[in-house]
Amino acid sequence: MKKESQFTPFVEKTHFWGSIFSVLAIIVLVSVPVSIMFYLNVRPEISDVLKGFWGVALIFWPTALIEICFYTPMMGAGATYLSFVSGNIANLKLPCALNAKNIVKPKKGTDEEEVVNTIAVATSAIVCTVVIAAGVLLLSPILPKITAEGSVFGPAFNQVIPALFGALLGGYLVQYWKLSILPIAAATLIVILAPTIGTGALIPICVILSIVGALLMYNNGLLTGGVKPENPLKGLVKKDK
Amino acid sequence: MDFKESKFMYLIAFIVIAFVIGQSLFFLIRAYNHGKKIGLSAKKMKDAITASALFTIAPAVSILATVVVLASSLGTVLPWIRLTVVGNLQYEVTAAQNAMEAFAGSGKAVAFGQDITDPTVFSAVAWVMTLGVILSLVLCPLLLKKIQKKVGKVKLDSGSDNKFGDIITAATFIGLISAFVGTSLAGKASTIEENGVKQATGMGAGVMSLAVLLTSIILVVILQTLCKKFKWDKFEPFVMPISMFAGMGMAMLVYAVLPESISMLEWRPAV
Repeated sequence: MKKESQFTPFVEKTHFWGSIFSVLAIIVLVSVPVSIMFYLNVRPEISDVLKGFWGVALIFWPTALIEICFYTPMMGAGATYLSFVSGNIANLKLPCALNAKNIVKPKKGTDEEEVVNTIAVATSAIVCTVVIAAGVLLLSPILPKITAEGSVFGPAFNQVIPALFGALLGGYLVQYWKLSILPIAAATLIVILAPTIGTGALIPICVILSIVGALLMYNNGLLTGGVKPENPLKGLVKKDK
Repeated sequence: MDFKESKFMYLIAFIVIAFVIGQSLFFLIRAYNHGKKIGLSAKKMKDAITASALFTIAPAVSILATVVVLASSLGTVLPWIRLTVVGNLQYEVTAAQNAMEAFAGSGKAVAFGQDITDPTVFSAVAWVMTLGVILSLVLCPLLLKKIQKKVGKVKLDSGSDNKFGDIITAATFIGLISAFVGTSLAGKASTIEENGVKQATGMGAGVMSLAVLLTSIILVVILQTLCKKFKWDKFEPFVMPISMFAGMGMAMLVYAVLPESISMLEWRPAV
């Protein structure tokens, strides 16, 4: 007998196509250095490549694993597959998905949410690719002048991250200002104590702290007008037993 | 002709771009058609497309600026390819720097910022930048479905309490945003060694980042409140992009109006 899937047919198919495209992306990605190697007719020493590779892998491979675990529940299947192929997730694709969800307000955990996430990330990937391509082909002679520190626009392009995440935070502050205090205070304190911590390591810490803080506030009635609700995790623990 | 900017390199870049755009279009059309089937209005989906496109422009330009940073060593095409597929701002600079450092003492050594003229070094850098990011693509088909199954189970089990589900979802996103807000409030710029000299990449937290952060936050709060009060539904998709651009505009204003010693003040300068 065929085992019933936990996913809707649309999400099930998304996983199928996502896996196919991930494998194709690996082939495209690896073919870049392979073609360069054959075109230039050179064979770099494996030891030289490995020496550089370990330095990068030690920082970025654990982050890749953490990113998949954290971003998948936030973005759903289609958007996650797409994001990991087109890159710039935390600083572009995820904010786009959050913004689109704030506008459309789809029902959580449904195909609606999956559709909105996918539309946002796909649009962002296309626009980003086109902007970079147009910039490289048309603007490369003048771009350094636009983004250089001394230019009028220089300060603006140095501040994309606070502008982007300030706008996102504002959207949440209207409805959930109490939830924001703990994670922002914690993030600031961690950055003060460990200034070299990357956002890749900081994100999971802040997300966990934020969820724990929200759970404690919820259980103590701070988010439900002073009425203490039943611990929502209590049921889960009993069910598991 | 510089081998880093040859026609062959451009050909590779166009193939990579065609793949990324082709995949994105495939998922976009598929999601749009399914959205229509399940009753999502075309207007809502178009709003999501417009808002996402607007929201992407400024970050895309700053990604483009990273291409310029890397171009001094690697030419324009390889950084362009790397930032189009899987790459990201923080990763590419670190990866390129690590790859170049691997040649220290080999006689082919090149410091970040110097033009790479040896094809072998260039090829090795391309390999390091590629292998460093490949894990996420390998893990996606292996893990993504399993993770979603686990999350779905938790959602189903706690599905009876929608308010709690909403709060946890909001807390997750606020946690993620907080990491960047904390960095904008107290972070220190990272550094790279360019031509043997330590240099800051971008700016750390200071007067400028604080002014930008507060401008974006305050403007979103005001505009969203106005949208709700006066039912400006058509204006809602533009609230966040406008606030983001206003934040960036504030950076230009602060730089133009205040003396440099104040406008460029960082709490903890990197160099």
